[in-house]
Amino acid sequence: MALPQQHTVDYPSFKLVIVGDGGTGKTTFVKRHITGEFEKKYEPTIGVEVHPLDFHTNCGRIRFYCWDTAGQEKFGGLRDGYYIHGHCAIIMFDVTARMTYRNVATWHRDLCRVCENIPIVLCGNKVDVKNRQVKAKQVTFHRKKNLQYYEISAKSNYNFEKPFLYLAKKLAGDQGLHFVEMPALAPPDVVIDIATQQLNEEEICRAAAQPLPDDEDDLFE
Amino acid sequence: MSSADPEHREEEEAPAVGDDEDTGAHVAPIVKLEEVAVTTGEEDEDAILDLKSKLYRFDKDGNQWKERGAGTVKFLKHKASGKVRLLMRQSKTLKICANHLILPTMSVQEHAGNEKSCVWHARDFADGELKDELFCIRFPSIENCKSFMETFQEVAETQKAEDEKESSDAAGLIEKLSVEEKADAEKKDEEKSEDKTVEKESASGKESKAVEEPASSA
Repeated sequence: MALPQQHTVDYPSFKLVIVGDGGTGKTTFVKRHITGEFEKKYEPTIGVEVHPLDFHTNCGRIRFYCWDTAGQEKFGGLRDGYYIHGHCAIIMFDVTARMTYRNVATWHRDLCRVCENIPIVLCGNKVDVKNRQVKAKQVTFHRKKNLQYYEISAKSNYNFEKPFLYLAKKLAGDQGLHFVEMPALAPPDVVIDIATQQLNEEEICRAAAQPLPDDEDDLFE
Repeated sequence: MSSADPEHREEEEAPAVGDDEDTGAHVAPIVKLEEVAVTTGEEDEDAILDLKSKLYRFDKDGNQWKERGAGTVKFLKHKASGKVRLLMRQSKTLKICANHLILPTMSVQEHAGNEKSCVWHARDFADGELKDELFCIRFPSIENCKSFMETFQEVAETQKAEDEKESSDAAGLIEKLSVEEKADAEKKDEEKSEDKTVEKESASGKESKAVEEPASSA
């Protein structure tokens, strides 16, 4: 698989490698940040998919190039070749699947062979699910290996910004760094003719009949 | 920056990680960032509505609603122009989910299956380019949804009144230009400098008309 072209930007950018067993939610987590969507359907990532992800901070705009890697061995492609020159990393496991936590050690070992002394966040995903298999107190790997740990839920957005904020702070060496509002440009004036307006209204009626994708009782922060 | 104390490490179980605790290794920073002034883009606006909500966009290809973000929706009225826009930001990351003007032609209607939700069409500028979007927004309560819908309709009607006022102002301007043209015709034999002055005024008039950019089609 050819590596995607990365256009350089005139603000700081970092290569973020995301690893972990298949099905732990790596792609869903990244997608949640990019489009806001929560992808229910599981499609194994083949090789790697690189997505640029920008954040605005009190120290200006920054970008993470998210290298979302294959979790399943058979789709691994270049495997740890994707880790080369990684500036930071996320290791994802699924708190509802004990084996994915056990395999964290292997992911960490392979990652550290290629990337020495980079900030790494361990993420326990799917903490919204009631019957979790790995309890918070049982997660101890991060203390042994000096990683940061966050319990997250790509579904409920619980702690979903924290891995990125932590990594940004470490890369900049600035504990005071925080996310700020993305500048909202003034939208240009728009003229909509009557024909288009009627078409829009028809579309609205059709769309209004389609159900919303998530549960009614989702938490509002 | 506090690092984990080795004496307190537990081999089997550990206390839940507090938000502020940093158990990560010390790594050398790889960039030096300077603090900059934050510009939200909302400095010249007053918020006339501010509610927690969840936004969806309609995916026409899949014929289904997709989540766009959860956070805060605001109606922002520009202090000078009086124009009102809808701006929605995602919680925590503070990225923009929606950013569009409320136009007189716009209307909002209830979502069929959910009384805390409503639907509208907009030409959205969230990504810095205009895009046709069907939006649905969901609120924690029926009251908040009603408040949003009422404010939306109220603003759209107010904008309609504003537009009509602008139309009559524009008509006045056109009339003035006609008068000037007539005067110009009558003064054909006048000096060139005066002709140039009139031409300049006409040119600036044309420029002001062209201020409204044609909408780019998606």
